[in-house]
Amino acid sequence: MNTVFAKIFVIFWKDMLTELRTKEVVVSVLVFALLVVVIFNFAFGTRAGTVEMAAPGILWVALTFGGVLGFNRIFAVEKENLRLEGLMLCPVDRAVIYWGKLVGSFTFILAVAVVITPIFLVLFNLPLFLPRLALVIVLAIIGFSAVGTLFSAVAINTRARDIMLPILFLPVAVPVIIAAVKATALVLAGSSWGDMATWLQIMIAFDVIYLVVATLVFEFVVEE
Amino acid sequence: MENLGYLLAAYTIIWVIVFGYVFFMQRKQRRLQQQIDALRKSLDE
Amino acid sequence: MKGKHILRDNVLLGLSLALMIAALYMVFVYVPTEKHTGIVQRIFYFHVPVAWVAFLAFFITFIFSILYLWKREIKWDTIAHASAEVGVIFTTLVLITGPIWAKPVWGVWWTWDARLTTSLVLWLIYIAYLLVRSFATEPARGARFSAVIGIVGFIDVPIVFLTVNLWRTQHPTTMIFEDGLTTSMLMTLMVCIAAFTVLYVLLTVQSANLKSLETDVKLLRSTQAE
Repeated sequence: MNTVFAKIFVIFWKDMLTELRTKEVVVSVLVFALLVVVIFNFAFGTRAGTVEMAAPGILWVALTFGGVLGFNRIFAVEKENLRLEGLMLCPVDRAVIYWGKLVGSFTFILAVAVVITPIFLVLFNLPLFLPRLALVIVLAIIGFSAVGTLFSAVAINTRARDIMLPILFLPVAVPVIIAAVKATALVLAGSSWGDMATWLQIMIAFDVIYLVVATLVFEFVVEE
Repeated sequence: MENLGYLLAAYTIIWVIVFGYVFFMQRKQRRLQQQIDALRKSLDE
Repeated sequence: MKGKHILRDNVLLGLSLALMIAALYMVFVYVPTEKHTGIVQRIFYFHVPVAWVAFLAFFITFIFSILYLWKREIKWDTIAHASAEVGVIFTTLVLITGPIWAKPVWGVWWTWDARLTTSLVLWLIYIAYLLVRSFATEPARGARFSAVIGIVGFIDVPIVFLTVNLWRTQHPTTMIFEDGLTTSMLMTLMVCIAAFTVLYVLLTVQSANLKSLETDVKLLRSTQAE
């Protein structure tokens, strides 16, 4: 069991080091997510009250689309350097590769969320200390990463890789997006845990189901 | 007989699309069959 | 149509035709007009079976995608592909007839209720299935990738339905029928479901045949090139 975790960590760490060297993906996605928040503010800000109602949606549009952009880049780098083929030559269980990539994707989008969320809260004059929002975000991006990692592996092997990932990812991610926006709205409105319970349950169920399904199915995507 | 227009629209669309698909498939099949016959002939030579 | 299956195909065609004629008779002649919404309500008798078939088609794609990934025989992939194609067509019909029915009855073209929204997401997943196949670098990859989408996407459908349902509970649920279904309505519905299911089988078989033909052409072409 130890070696499985070690292998996952090695795959994750290699990606981490590559990204840390250039930081190009994280920085560009951060800028993009920030722009989304700003532009949507202009899109909705014509009447007082509309923007406050739209705030949870705006946060999640920024995280969703930023996430999709980032996931694309994660596997694109692999493809360009032919590292995926090299990785495939290693006698390693395909599921381990998936989990290594998954931890990488999750870390990436977590980093984006950690920076964007406080900025978002400030721009919308919302309280900054919201531990329940942190839980919502973590649960949601686990779901995003589970599906996004699997679909990036599919998308980079197609001819229209940049547009293929959103087309694959967004419909499947609908339940998470709905639940995340709902839960965020409830947190911002100061609701109790009880009100939020359904949405958290949906996200947890989605995460578990898709982590399992993606693990089982990933080998079919990367086989040669 | 209010809303007759809607009823007719719904049924017309269903039949147009279903028959359109069938027609499209028939045409493709004919073309493919022609290609197969032509290829078979050129292979026999 | 493939020579060896002429009997099967003709039986299917005849059955489909007979059932459709019976269905049309029942919808337009036999069943009485519904009291509250008038004749527009008759759209229901085709809208519901079409929605059922769209879901069935995706289920078949799901099953045969699993079969294909497991056994790797092209015929399983062909059926999955054909079913997905027919499924897109039927889902498109659901999305078109739904609003046509909704507008006169509820006054709005679209409501984000669980059934319509799930149909829309289902449609998008089907489209993704077909796009992945056509954008893949080789046909074998296309088959594998779309099989994965067929499996992952199908699992998503009940989750989407449940989530949207919960999301919409604060909005008044739109009632389809205030008095429930009478026996004649039920019988008409059953005949229509049967008619459309047979139509689905007919279209999927024809589509699958067509795809086999395409593979044959490609094979012949590559033999010719040698």
